Amino acid sequence: MSTDTSSNTPLSKVISLSLDTWAVIIAVALALAVRFDILKNVPW
Amino acid sequence: MASTTALSPVKSESALLNALSLVPGVLLLAAIGYTGKFLERFLNTYAKAHHWTFPNIEYVLWAILIGLAIANTVGVPKLFQAGVATYEFWLKLGIVLLGARFVADDILKLSGISMALVVIEITVSLGLMTVLGRLFKLKRKLTTLLAIGSSICGVSAIIAAKGAIDADDEDSSFAIAAILALGALALFTFPAIAHGLHMNDVSYGLWAGLGVDNTAEATAAGALYSDAAGKVAVVAKTARNAMIGFVVLAYAIYWAGRGQAEAVTNKAAFLWKKFPKFVLGFLLMSLLVGFHAFSKAQIGSLGNLSKWAFLLTFAGVGLRTNFRDMSRQGLRPFIVGALGEVLIACLTLGLVVGANRIWGL
Repeated sequence: MSTDTSSNTPLSKVISLSLDTWAVIIAVALALAVRFDILKNVPW
Repeated sequence: MASTTALSPVKSESALLNALSLVPGVLLLAAIGYTGKFLERFLNTYAKAHHWTFPNIEYVLWAILIGLAIANTVGVPKLFQAGVATYEFWLKLGIVLLGARFVADDILKLSGISMALVVIEITVSLGLMTVLGRLFKLKRKLTTLLAIGSSICGVSAIIAAKGAIDADDEDSSFAIAAILALGALALFTFPAIAHGLHMNDVSYGLWAGLGVDNTAEATAAGALYSDAAGKVAVVAKTARNAMIGFVVLAYAIYWAGRGQAEAVTNKAAFLWKKFPKFVLGFLLMSLLVGFHAFSKAQIGSLGNLSKWAFLLTFAGVGLRTNFRDMSRQGLRPFIVGALGEVLIACLTLGLVVGANRIWGL
């Protein structure tokens, strides 16, 4: 998978970061939310 | 400087509209994914209550089948298309979060085995597809795209290579259609063959990660077998994805040498640009777990968030697979792709069986 593909996707058009970078940023934000108990016991 | 950092009212308004345009499609992905999850649970409970013998059909398969049914009957209305296209984002988010379910040691062990197999797989696949392309007299650049798509990582690799080797739009559409159609077939054939061979989760996960081209399909094919197999498939596929820059760079240099693509001036920058950054996110997450940054319950929560992200991905895999569109792309690239894929599937199966004997997976 390359970051190149993302440059044309609607999500990355919102603010010009690659899809990969967005995925990492949001994953880290979610991980922080879980780490500091803002998100607790996420069900499945 | 201010103009580069602050969004103008017009730009921020269009960014907001772009973001809003994603909502219907994302809701559709969520609705399909959740229906799949509901059907799995409901049918199991119903069958148990009525003492029926009913095979457990996982939510993954339901989500894909519902998506396929919609895409190939009524089609995906325009309103939903932008949001449905985010399925790749959910895939990458899911993979990064899945890193929390692996301790760095596991990744090192699995990636070490995967990497050894990946190098063999890529080398043989590139050679094989090139020979098949010449035998069937496909255009040279189309052959290159098919070789890259089937040896590394499907659609994204083809798009990354398209720019680097200056290939036609038509060639890349052919190659993408062939890889997507074959990926859809692999979703159903790989688990069936593995069940027939009574493969264990690790062996099968490795096989799915090495043999299925597109990351979304490889993840789904793994998850269709078992949760554990899905995790291993992601690691093996991620190891394969990490090689994309090197292979595309080699082809870019080759075509530039023939005067049919732009020369690569800064190889390190080229490699960094093509390197899939979510691989770094995946590794970062497992390192954090290795340093005990999360409690056991928190790791469970991150794993569940990853599953929700994959749920949206699997719905998207079904929704973007339109067999009519694929059939319009012509038969020859598909035949070359199919022949190559069957041979690569056999090769990777042989590699995994061999690795199982040597390392006892």
